[in-house]
Amino acid sequence: MTADYVCKTIDPNNPAGPPVDAIFPGHLTLRYWKYSPVDFENLRAANYVLENPKRIFFGVRAYNQGGWCYTGRPAQWYIKEGALVPFPKERVFAVYLNPNMHVYQCRAEYADPVDPLCPVNWQDRYRGLTWKSTS
Amino acid sequence: MEKHFLADMMEGEGRSEFRAEPWYNPYGDCIDYKMADEAVVAERVDELLTVYNSAVDNRPIGFQIKGVQAIIRKLGLDGLAFASQAKAGAVKSISIAALLLAAYEEREPTLARRRAYAAAMEPAEKRSIPADQLQPA
Repeated sequence: MTADYVCKTIDPNNPAGPPVDAIFPGHLTLRYWKYSPVDFENLRAANYVLENPKRIFFGVRAYNQGGWCYTGRPAQWYIKEGALVPFPKERVFAVYLNPNMHVYQCRAEYADPVDPLCPVNWQDRYRGLTWKSTS
Repeated sequence: MEKHFLADMMEGEGRSEFRAEPWYNPYGDCIDYKMADEAVVAERVDELLTVYNSAVDNRPIGFQIKGVQAIIRKLGLDGLAFASQAKAGAVKSISIAALLLAAYEEREPTLARRRAYAAAMEPAEKRSIPADQLQPA
């Protein structure tokens, strides 16, 4: 069994406080490693976003309690095996975590035309924005 | 490209071909399905369905069904059982099409939703998922 990988990120409950652990579950990373090479490579982008988030949203799931969405913009990502390209301007990279801070999903989203660091229609999809980068 | 941050943790783990099959993600209580080993751009249809479009050419290559446990609570595993298993006692696998239908019925039918759900049903080469894998983390 592959171990979990832990990185530090902004505490969504206390953004001004010390960083907290975000966990890439070994179960998930091993699955990507074995069966989904492009997803495995794009865990780099997910790790980058967690370490350099631009927006954090709460209330991201309608049928499950809690959870967070961290968004940001990696410089590059893999679109298919061996094809590393600049991350497109009209997209934003989103990393979803459950209430236990386990990463369960990372992917590109269509960007909001007003604030391109937010996923499109974020006002309807999430309960709210909990933190916004000032840099 | 610099070394992957998980490379050392994967040492000794075998690697196989890309696998195009639905699987239950226990950390997100969702079922993911991708037909191609390509990055995706997510297009949210509603609270229960997200369609995956290819980052290469924007064609639909998969989907995510969210809130799986909520759907199971509502319909029961029997209501989602694959093919003839409903009569056979213990449910061994559930039908992805039945899950999609259950999700579709949760909201008002619209043309956009109907199209998205129909598209999600079409590529399902593998149409079931083992019931014993549906354990949230």
